[in-house]
Amino acid sequence: MPTPTYIPLQTITLGSAASSVTFASIPQTYRDLVLVVIGRSSYTINGDDNIEVRFNSDSGSNYSRVLALGNTNGTDSNAAGSTRAEFGVFPTSASSNTSFGQVIGNIMDYSATDKHKTILARGNSVPNSSVNMNAARWASTLAITSIEVQTARNLQGASADLVVGTTLSLYGIEA
Amino acid sequence: MQAIETVTVGSGGAASIEFMAVGDIPDTYTDLMILVSFRTTRAYVSDDIDIQINGSAANFSHRLLYGDNGSVGSQTNTYGQAALATGNSGTSNTFGNTEIYIPNYRSSVAKSYSAAGVSENNATNAGQHLTAGLWNVTDPITSITVLGKNGTLMQYSTATLYGILAGSDGTTTVT
Repeated sequence: MPTPTYIPLQTITLGSAASSVTFASIPQTYRDLVLVVIGRSSYTINGDDNIEVRFNSDSGSNYSRVLALGNTNGTDSNAAGSTRAEFGVFPTSASSNTSFGQVIGNIMDYSATDKHKTILARGNSVPNSSVNMNAARWASTLAITSIEVQTARNLQGASADLVVGTTLSLYGIEA
Repeated sequence: MQAIETVTVGSGGAASIEFMAVGDIPDTYTDLMILVSFRTTRAYVSDDIDIQINGSAANFSHRLLYGDNGSVGSQTNTYGQAALATGNSGTSNTFGNTEIYIPNYRSSVAKSYSAAGVSENNATNAGQHLTAGLWNVTDPITSITVLGKNGTLMQYSTATLYGILAGSDGTTTVT
């Protein structure tokens, strides 16, 4: 039976706001990866943002996802294709509460070269009372060697950095 | 990821499981994870799992997304809900499973947590919960109590507290 272990690979705590953070040169020696992002988006127009990622700098329409969401408007579930993989809902600077949110995602078989990559992730934006979970796919058989993390609002062209104090940690899971 | 403490309920059951009932949770980790396998005496197929921190059930809020016997919903409340256990009307010998993730448990800001869990049942009316929670207290977390909301924990219920250490700042690139 596989023994799940969180082997810390890289962590960064932002000393200044950043529009994106990239984990590069990811070692290929683990079975799965876990990405944990704790922080907030600087977006000020809406209480929720999302954490989204691109693998190996691929900005093509090679991502898809299905999500389930609960918030003050009720529930929703939908599926869509995209140019990035959605991980989870994330609070913004428009939230009434200044606490951070968290996003946790598992990236399965990231080093495999014979399958598309799948992600299971969940997001937490308590200040705005939102929670969601995503199942995403990157339609590529390339091994994942880098992960770029951004906010959805930033990817849409808005001013939405990851704020000072945001931490991003990448873990390797041994089989 | 290192196992800090595992507690298994003995014959006669228990009202709750408290990690670090004597002493404090070590301050040497970055995040905490709790894996729970619970069955409670509640005469229903499922039961909720709650958490208390530092001996207190106050200052919690959460947003919950649930799927239960074919229906979905979302709700919010002001106690420390985690996710799900199996109740005593569930299939014999089955236990519900829940993961609780608490980042930055030693920080001096409010603590967010996320939880995902299922009530196992080899028939209809199984359930799934996804929870975004907040403990709006700036004290470091030194102890955690896990309990069934409506029933006593039955024999063989078990919970393990893990410590997760973040990695050093390696080849991360901030752009």
